[in-house]
Amino acid sequence: MRKLTTALLAGLVVTAGASAALAADKTEISAARFFGACEADYGTVTDVTKANGECGIITALINKFNADSKTTVVKPEIVEWPGYDQLTARIRSGEPPTISVMHEAVISDYSSRGLLEPLDEDFAKAGVDVNDMTDAARQGVTKDGKIYAMPFDTHTWLWHINMNLFKQAGLVDSAGKPILPKSTDELMKQAQQFKDKTGKPYFISTLANETAFYTRTFDTLLYQQNADFFADPNKVNFSSPEAKNAAQLLADIFAKDYTTKNQDYAASVSSFAAGDGGVFICGTWLIDTYDQEAKKEGAALSKGYAATAFPQIYPGSPRVWADGHSWVLLKQDLSEAQRASAIEFMKFLWDNNYEWSRTGHLPVRKSIIDSDAFKNLPHRGDIASLAVNGTALPSAVKRQFSIQEIEGEEVGSAMRGDKPVDQALTDAETRVNELLANAK
Amino acid sequence: MTDVTLSPGKAVAAVKRPTGASIGPRWSNALFVAPYLVFYVVLLVYPLFKGIWMSMLESDMFDNTSKFAGLANYHRLFNDKIFIGTVWNTVWFVVMTVPVFVAIGLLLALALNSSDRTAAALRAIFFGTSVLSVTIVTIIWKMMYMPGNGAIASIFKLFGLQPVAFITSSSLALVAIAICTIWWIIGLPMMLFLAALQQIPGELYEAAALDNASRWRSFWSITLPSIKRTLLVVVIYEIVAQFQLFGQAQLLTQGGPNNASRPIVQFIYEQGFRSWNLGYAAAASEILFLIMAVAALAQFFVSRKRVEE
Repeated sequence: MRKLTTALLAGLVVTAGASAALAADKTEISAARFFGACEADYGTVTDVTKANGECGIITALINKFNADSKTTVVKPEIVEWPGYDQLTARIRSGEPPTISVMHEAVISDYSSRGLLEPLDEDFAKAGVDVNDMTDAARQGVTKDGKIYAMPFDTHTWLWHINMNLFKQAGLVDSAGKPILPKSTDELMKQAQQFKDKTGKPYFISTLANETAFYTRTFDTLLYQQNADFFADPNKVNFSSPEAKNAAQLLADIFAKDYTTKNQDYAASVSSFAAGDGGVFICGTWLIDTYDQEAKKEGAALSKGYAATAFPQIYPGSPRVWADGHSWVLLKQDLSEAQRASAIEFMKFLWDNNYEWSRTGHLPVRKSIIDSDAFKNLPHRGDIASLAVNGTALPSAVKRQFSIQEIEGEEVGSAMRGDKPVDQALTDAETRVNELLANAK
Repeated sequence: MTDVTLSPGKAVAAVKRPTGASIGPRWSNALFVAPYLVFYVVLLVYPLFKGIWMSMLESDMFDNTSKFAGLANYHRLFNDKIFIGTVWNTVWFVVMTVPVFVAIGLLLALALNSSDRTAAALRAIFFGTSVLSVTIVTIIWKMMYMPGNGAIASIFKLFGLQPVAFITSSSLALVAIAICTIWWIIGLPMMLFLAALQQIPGELYEAAALDNASRWRSFWSITLPSIKRTLLVVVIYEIVAQFQLFGQAQLLTQGGPNNASRPIVQFIYEQGFRSWNLGYAAAASEILFLIMAVAALAQFFVSRKRVEE
């Protein structure tokens, strides 16, 4: 027995030593990301096909890369969404992560100051076919003619629908599809019908503690009216009748109790899953999560979940707010090995872009969008139009995240009745233009 | 006093002994305060003047070519409705919280100024919240304030009342942050008052009891005059601390809704780290510094006058 114990202990020491030596041989790079933390569920999962949701899939992807790569170890650094304040502070203090997730809307702020590495040559060497990038993705990561990031997805704003409640409200057609509004009048009428029949609000909305809902919905309503509110990238125009229409519509929805109120992001996500309302206006990233929920017996969404593109309620166009996640290489003193490792990891993400598209995000590779595997994923046929209609702000507009914060705050004030609509739009315009006038 | 008779020779020797004034200051003594002075200058005086200089620059976070702008940043600040709003929010927050810190802190200290085990346990409990980080505190209070399933909403529903939307109401958001802050750090003023109360000689209360003085009379004539200086310390400390409100507002309400709970420090943070506008952020910092200095000095002079009277 004693000999056996000694042998086992010796074996453990040798194994641990060998693992440490192997890890020591690998180049370590850090990867800053949001998407949440789920180590408890996916900390050891290396089979990506068994992971679900943004957090699960990215965690499993990194695990798989670390398990397979003979040269590189990626150390994930999880940050609170969107993480740019922290990234800015880290860059300023000279300790940026090796690579980081970055919204395409933000890239130009960093690339124009020489804080990001251009990646064209690295991608060519690594065999990344940039011609396979979708137009939206390639435009999103290209600044001044150079590619500054590995695109990861295109994400847009859409309607998640509780079909069980829609049936109860009489808003499902004979083909089993949801009956969606085609005008603002129809929207208000259906919202009232839904409320009368179910006793619940038509919308579930994230109205507390973040501004994303207000900005993205407001921008979508402006796009639908063909309002060119950034005709001049240095000056926004919210004084148009279109802007007033959009803000007034949101204010009316709030005033008539057609939406849940006072919910933050976490509360609204779980509220939709719990069946507290009919439509949750949110992003592509929740499709997989709710699809899994719909597979559960007895859940509020059980066999009753649909996702659909944002319905066109103005006669202008079906365009909708869009952005994209991408991975950037921060400028710093990197060794050849570190840079090679960073590119190796980006190439791995490129190769596995289909797995990421299972979250609900649109893939960034034409070959995946055209593949049967992607087309056969749930609800993708219903949101296919988003790939064409997704619209980002013009890339020449600086400080896009700060602008979206201001816009969201003021539209939120209008929607909640804290300010008259006209006053809120004037304030939004003044604040954004002041920001742009002082932005370098 | 003992009379000492010295012989004439010894007396002369004693008179001629050199004094500090005649030989000048001993510069080697400065070594004792040097470490503190170095840190004080490097970490406080230098940043203070650097901040003042930066506030007069048009300076971007990542731009190395700052341009002198004179008082332009200050001019812009005084015309910025959001900044003016943050000044009022911050002042209102200080007005809401500091008197409560003093009143509740003193009440708790008076109630728990005893050596029994229950008082010791309660002192630990009331002080316990102060060791929590702002992140934990705001998570707890988010769960309290959540309008759907939050603890306060549940109590309202229990009595058939409509839950109040604390953190999404423009009139209640700052009050909600104030309540959270008081719950979080009420332990420190309580402890400071307790320390002061325990310095009051028991004989004073015994004498008052012999004179048949009521509790209120004892408090007014013995306790309060004895802890005046601690009272001043607590008030000034809390004024300075509460003017620096940031974490709770950032995490509970993000300054909203409608700028109703955005404090000055959050404005500085957003201008510096989000808009990368360092000169503008530095100018706002200097305004905050001035307001804090004026408030603390005013309190100090008023209180000192009363103490002297």
